[in-house]
Amino acid sequence: MGMNIQETIASPLVWHPQTAAEAWQLKQTYDIEAVYTSGGTLLRTQWESGISAMPQHLIDLSAIRGLNELRVGEAGLVVGGQTSLQSCRSNALLSRHFPMVTEAIRTIAAPSVRQLATIGGNVASSIGDSIAALLGYDAEVIWFDGTREHRALLSEWLHEASAAKRGNERLLLSVLLPFEESLGETPVSNGAEDLTSQMKRFGAYHKVGRREAFTPSVVTACINGVLTCSNVIKQIRIALGGGQTVPVRLEGLEKEISGADVDGQLLRHVYDRTIELFEPREDLFASAAYRKSTAANLIVSELWKAAKDNTKQL
Amino acid sequence: MLLNRASSGERWRVRPDGPGKVTGGLAYLTDMTTDHMLYGLVLRSEHPHAHILSINTDKAKKLPGVHAILTYLDIPGLNAYGIAHPDQPVLCEDRARYVGDALATVAADTLAAAQQALELIEVDYEVLEVVDDPECALLPSSPQLHPGGNELHRTVFSRGDVDQGFRDCAYIVEETYYTPRQMHTYMETEGGLFVPGEDGRLTVYSPTQHGFMDRMQLSRILKKPQEEIRIVSSPIGGSFGGKDELNVQPYGALLAMQTGRPIKIHNSRWESVRAGLKRHPMKITMKTGVDAAGKLMAHQVSLISDTGPYSTLGAEVLNFATEHVIGPYQYVHLDVKGVSVFTNNGMSGEFRGFGGNQAIFALEGQMDRLAEMAGMEPWFFRKLNMRQSDNLGPFDQPIAMTEGAEQVWEAIAKCPLWLEKEHLTRMSSSGDEPWIKTGIGAAFTMHGAGLGVGIPDPAGGRLELAADGKIEAVFGYEEFGQGLLASLEQMLIEQFGFGAKDIRMIIGDTDVVPDSGSTTASRATAMMWKSLQKLKAPFSGQLLQRAAAVLNRPVEQLQLGEGGIKGTRENSLLLSYKELADAAGEPIRCETSFSFPTSSTERVGAHYMYTYSAVVVKAEVNTLSGRARVLQQYHVVAAGPVINPQGYLGQIEGGSSMALGFTLLEDSVMEKGHYIARNLDTYLVPTIEDQRGLVEVEAIEQLPEGDDYGPRGIGEVGSVTLAPAIAAAIRQACGKWATKLPVEPSFLQEAPFFLGKG
Amino acid sequence: MSEEAVKSESPYVLRCFVNGKEELIDTKPAARLLTIVRDELSLTGTKRSCEIGRCGACMVLIEGKAVNSCLTMAYQCSEKQITTIEGIAVQGMDPVQQAFLEEGGFQCGYCTPGMIISVKALLDENPDPSDDEIAEALSGNICRCTGYGGIWRAVKRAAEGRRQTT
Repeated sequence: MGMNIQETIASPLVWHPQTAAEAWQLKQTYDIEAVYTSGGTLLRTQWESGISAMPQHLIDLSAIRGLNELRVGEAGLVVGGQTSLQSCRSNALLSRHFPMVTEAIRTIAAPSVRQLATIGGNVASSIGDSIAALLGYDAEVIWFDGTREHRALLSEWLHEASAAKRGNERLLLSVLLPFEESLGETPVSNGAEDLTSQMKRFGAYHKVGRREAFTPSVVTACINGVLTCSNVIKQIRIALGGGQTVPVRLEGLEKEISGADVDGQLLRHVYDRTIELFEPREDLFASAAYRKSTAANLIVSELWKAAKDNTKQL
Repeated sequence: MLLNRASSGERWRVRPDGPGKVTGGLAYLTDMTTDHMLYGLVLRSEHPHAHILSINTDKAKKLPGVHAILTYLDIPGLNAYGIAHPDQPVLCEDRARYVGDALATVAADTLAAAQQALELIEVDYEVLEVVDDPECALLPSSPQLHPGGNELHRTVFSRGDVDQGFRDCAYIVEETYYTPRQMHTYMETEGGLFVPGEDGRLTVYSPTQHGFMDRMQLSRILKKPQEEIRIVSSPIGGSFGGKDELNVQPYGALLAMQTGRPIKIHNSRWESVRAGLKRHPMKITMKTGVDAAGKLMAHQVSLISDTGPYSTLGAEVLNFATEHVIGPYQYVHLDVKGVSVFTNNGMSGEFRGFGGNQAIFALEGQMDRLAEMAGMEPWFFRKLNMRQSDNLGPFDQPIAMTEGAEQVWEAIAKCPLWLEKEHLTRMSSSGDEPWIKTGIGAAFTMHGAGLGVGIPDPAGGRLELAADGKIEAVFGYEEFGQGLLASLEQMLIEQFGFGAKDIRMIIGDTDVVPDSGSTTASRATAMMWKSLQKLKAPFSGQLLQRAAAVLNRPVEQLQLGEGGIKGTRENSLLLSYKELADAAGEPIRCETSFSFPTSSTERVGAHYMYTYSAVVVKAEVNTLSGRARVLQQYHVVAAGPVINPQGYLGQIEGGSSMALGFTLLEDSVMEKGHYIARNLDTYLVPTIEDQRGLVEVEAIEQLPEGDDYGPRGIGEVGSVTLAPAIAAAIRQACGKWATKLPVEPSFLQEAPFFLGKG
Repeated sequence: MSEEAVKSESPYVLRCFVNGKEELIDTKPAARLLTIVRDELSLTGTKRSCEIGRCGACMVLIEGKAVNSCLTMAYQCSEKQITTIEGIAVQGMDPVQQAFLEEGGFQCGYCTPGMIISVKALLDENPDPSDDEIAEALSGNICRCTGYGGIWRAVKRAAEGRRQTT
């Protein structure tokens, strides 16, 4: 008896649209009776646990042309939403230019689940563990509204997704990762101090879960920045998520510390402000307080490490 | 000897059940199907505690495809089960006491119809106050779950006067330890096939650890003679104690008898979580003191065990824990009290370690704290207080004496991992990631085997030369993965000289096997060994005598060998076992039955045979997240001769992995009597990534001269010492004493040192 | 809609290749591969355990990649090559199976078919995996019995065996 109860009772029709327009139209037609699906791994978990019932219609997005690959576009790397997480995991372009995304995907589920699960599904869930890393690279998303494609910052897209249930109107197509400008081309504004012309990028993605592998996340944290050799923060992005928390950029904190020296006082400030600004959702497995202090610890320790590597003084 | 493939040489054998397992060809009992079978499901209580005012099955019965819907009214015999004390209703009549309580059971043509029928059953509940805290449950104001109140069982053991003892102490440690509701998480959930025969008999194909116990219990429920029930119970996809008690069998059996059709039941994971057993969560408070020289003067213990709604083996687990909180140490004054309490939480019951896991975590925690307080090296501190080989057991009972304690202590004292401990600098803040801190800890135990005094503990088996020339070894034990068949085969080869191809092993079928007792309590290998010892002379003798007659040669010139009878001088085959079987005469068949050796004490549950073991663990704590990882383990086990090196190694490795989960990951969190983690996405057991560090196992085989008890049990002991050893390693790493398992990352978390205080 | 989207009707006939043999299976498009393999094809080596992709007992190869059959729906298998534990060996036993036998990489055996499928997929793609790669590849296969000791040894032995034969 491999059979489970759900599938013997409900048996959704499965649609295989060839274009985004067809998919969108199907969703308008069947509305709440239809669900978009890619790999279906998250949906299956929800059906099994009874969080949601199997719908009457599944709209399979995997057949939509052109969404199943990674390609270099004008503005950056375009990751088709239907690309499986495992393809992303082993993609050389992605790991060369966006290693923190690769690292984030490495920690999602297990390879067998990643064969089915897609980057689009991970992002569209709003709580996928790739999101913090994508935010760390200022990723954008391309989505379809029934008539045309839109491009928006992932951070804004997530914000809207959490503000209103707009699943009907917005069909996620692709994720766009802008190439980071090479540090050699970074204009040096204060020519008087030549020391600052030497800069370095630093960054890290961490997922803290409840075990060492194949774990729901408790905290996901990404930091990505540029330090001068005298430890001035030239550029910084901090993104946090984990569990049921929709990942966010701490843009307020980023502004506060841009241009500042990394010293003990700044580290303390980053720590305190992370705890203030990050608002994780808690559950019976991990409290909000623990999630906050973990996020703060991860971010501040990476900053400390970057500055320490620079000067070996801190 | 370090156990591994190289050190084992030819004794490292491919398991007889291996080919079926690696090819997928082996059919588990939950893989079975048959023509005309129906699917069975069970309706369970929506509430952890409620009066059941009515159960209306009228609508459900009208559903097409539904063949039977049974409630308590349809039970011919006793509406209760429980190995020790049958107080768990098969189908509740007027009250539900936990979320796994069964109210009705359905058989239908399809699973979908059965599910729809469950949904159509109308149950009228009156929700009652949930008793979810064992301490509150003991208050007179608490709702009482049973006519006898909320106390399942109390234990007391004392010696001397602890108050006086504490007055003589230079150092006293007082601490309370908490252990989690760990889930067995066998990969194969409960299930099976229940087939009524035309002759009125019922065949039950469903995993259990003691087929005859299931047969007796089902006989009571069905009001059907035991001989009319056949239990086929192996192979089993993992059990760890969790399938010893009845689970789905009553429902499958009732439905099969009612409908006259075969019934298939296979629990979903959530059904398994909801209805199944867990390890008893315990709160153990200890006050332990030493004199200025570090000698244990007084040890006072109070245990409270959350046994859930019904008895099963809750009392026996408490007895075991009571014995093991005393453990391998000598105290002048002793005062131990335990209580096992009914609650509306999930069912607690038998689970590998049987209360020892909880007890040893607390006891060894005390030893480490006292050593530290007295300024003594913790291993030396243990030596100072450890039992001598001729001491009585923990309950002052006579035990089978060995040098095990001393041997294990010595092996740990000189093992390289333990010696590394003093070189680890605590709280170091050097390196690239100074927030990662490493420590080493060790813990010790003596773990009892067998069911203990006062509980029938039969053993035995049978050897037979079958008509086809196979040597049949027939035992009433079960194979749930531990390697019982492999051990049996290895003993038959090594002790008798048979070849693997000469042997047919038959287990797990009550129509065929003798009652060898349960496959629990680290007892089966020892009891097979003992049986073979008893059978060796008569069985070999009969085979050789028959051969002597056939060959017309003196029996002294013959010996058993691979393929048949060989000459003692020439190694050539003289007579195959088939030829021997074909020879005229009475069937050659020897049977033995005896009891597991017990102590001569009156103390119920006291053990006679013990395994001694210890482990050293290296662990690291990432203080940024507060998460701990085990890096390396070195186990030493003194359990007599190694019967099967691969199996022995596997038992210690596997047991310790379970203990790693118990210590760092696992807890079936409940909220007001409801399970929060319903499947393996939230109930997390160790993955291969959690289990990357080196695990070495040193086996000490030497037994005192004249000891004829043979191998001691090793099935459980790998799972009892790891938790306190990890706790000690964490103490060295980051200075914190964990008292609650699984260790909460937030407890170990620290703000990075460079932020300073504040 | 200008052009009609393809729809998997219910009832639905799945065409796929299981262990090299063409199969035409009357099923439903969203039926799980686990059910199809066990109930329709009676290939019970693929095990049912958590049913949400968290344990790996139901692992099969789809086009040579390890995938949880409990997560895979019938329509996702259309025209695909599926290999279950029963079809893993070309003849006799696969070297991975042999290594599990010799090293004792199993106890109760219930996770073993899925585990072997994952190891097979790993070694086919990466004949000389590092410890990190082994751990990642097997992180979706839960074994409750062995503590993974025998599994580590079996994977290393299988990899070594392949290196020696090539």
